[in-house]
Amino acid sequence: MSSVYTRPLARLIDQLQRLPGIGPKTAQRLALYLIKRPEADIQALAQALLEAKQQVGLCSVCFHLSAEPVCDICASPQRDNHLLCVVADSRDVIAIEKTREYHGKYHVLGGLISPLEGITPEHLHIQPLIQRASQAQVKEVILAINPSIEGETTTLYVGQLLRPFVKVTRIAFGLPVGGDLDYADEMTLARALAGRREIEWQ
Amino acid sequence: MFLKSLHLRHFRNYSEQLVTFAAPKTIVVGDNAQGKSNLLEAVEWLATLQSHRTHRDRDLIQQGQESAQIEATLERQGVPLDLAVSLRPLAGRVLRVNGCTVKRTAEFLGQLNAVEFSCLDLELVRGTPTIRRNWLDRILVQLEPLYSQVLQTYQKALRQRNALLKQAGSQGWDEALWQAWNQQLVINGTRIIRRRQRLIERLAPLAQDWHWVLSGARETLTLTYESHVPLGDGTSEAIVAAFNEALAARRAIELLQKTSLVGPHRDDVGFCLNEQSARHFASQGQQRTLVLALKLAELALVESVVGDTPLLLLDDVLAELDLQRQGILLEVMGDRYQTLITTTHLAPFGTPWRQQAQILKVTAGTIASVPDTAAQTSD
Repeated sequence: MSSVYTRPLARLIDQLQRLPGIGPKTAQRLALYLIKRPEADIQALAQALLEAKQQVGLCSVCFHLSAEPVCDICASPQRDNHLLCVVADSRDVIAIEKTREYHGKYHVLGGLISPLEGITPEHLHIQPLIQRASQAQVKEVILAINPSIEGETTTLYVGQLLRPFVKVTRIAFGLPVGGDLDYADEMTLARALAGRREIEWQ
Repeated sequence: MFLKSLHLRHFRNYSEQLVTFAAPKTIVVGDNAQGKSNLLEAVEWLATLQSHRTHRDRDLIQQGQESAQIEATLERQGVPLDLAVSLRPLAGRVLRVNGCTVKRTAEFLGQLNAVEFSCLDLELVRGTPTIRRNWLDRILVQLEPLYSQVLQTYQKALRQRNALLKQAGSQGWDEALWQAWNQQLVINGTRIIRRRQRLIERLAPLAQDWHWVLSGARETLTLTYESHVPLGDGTSEAIVAAFNEALAARRAIELLQKTSLVGPHRDDVGFCLNEQSARHFASQGQQRTLVLALKLAELALVESVVGDTPLLLLDDVLAELDLQRQGILLEVMGDRYQTLITTTHLAPFGTPWRQQAQILKVTAGTIASVPDTAAQTSD
């Protein structure tokens, strides 16, 4: 391959290819596009990359991505201090925030327990979570973690640890809105049945 | 159901091969290592999304190629059905039903049903428990398409729990974490145990009837699912409770051996003839009769559950059966089941086998149709 691209271009393609979801073809297309851009644009991109890396860290309270020591959500006085939503990753915070339905605070674990990948509870932000949850103002902790094997185990584990201090709930899993009952598989139906609820009479 | 054609591309030793099936019986003849079993393997793969010869998709792809394709046209109760799979080790599998890509394996499994009887099945009685568990799992995947998902989930929980056991010595012990993994193993393991147990209950009477006939009304065959977890009354609550007890009892040994010792991954199937363990006491002949009875039971069960006749794949096995057993098998098959048969020689086949059979000759990954007479004289 070294003979196909001149060396700096090969380096750029190689770097791009390391990004998630980018294969060799996409990497080549992006690289060829980038080198045709005006130098100022490239400067701006490079600077944005560097600054994001240098300035974005984790919120010291909830471990969500943040440029400040305490993130906007944790610092907001409008947020409900009684509710804490536990998620695996910052991506999940963003997904829940987009719904604009949740007004409590978050706690980001930073991953899921997985002995195969060597991820033990010590690698996750579980201790700070217990400290936060044991404070008097927290009334409920909602566990919003994917129902994979690793996710279920993490939910069980964290739930057990929090139980002495606070009410622990988990989000429901089941049928997607607009989904047809007869298209749902047995697992989804079983989950939906287990998480059934009374009709809310207006 | 009837398989009308099979198109293989870069599958095993086939570069590009279209096979059209024209008769209820197809005899595939050829020397060893020419590609006879590969043809049947492609059909098995469409039925179960796995092969009993390998669990790596990479092995199914012709050397030097990036991907392999299998395309099949079928007729199911008069309705045409097209199945296609593309195996790409780097990018995953693509499954298509009637030209539409399906995302979940459960939507693909069960479209084509096949019962395979190969010389490896003769190991069912005497071989390792793995062979018997895989046998049950292959049937379940076809009968209950969700089973493949249940099995994968269990295997993942098992791998994670084993990894935790391996790390137990080097790191501090976290009891709460251990219990969380135990719970995953128990919930998912119970699902497997109940489904396998239910399958055995449905197979047992069919296999018993067949073995009674095949043994000249002398031997009563009983099948049992031998679980490490006492099944109790068979409800999930009973199995979950017994599973937890068994885990507590074996805890010290599991920690010592650093591997999971309780669960469906260690279970077995027991065969008894007149209340004596077939594994220990059955002669070669009795074992063959038993395996034939199991396969005929499997055929009947798949047919009754699916409501259509499954394909029968006989891989290099007829030579292992004597004339009497061959005769019974032939009688059962009649023209009801589409049957693909592989063999190295046509000689052992009596005229009833060859009657109206389509004969294909395989040479180094190429298949050619031969008229029966030509094959006969070349023998």
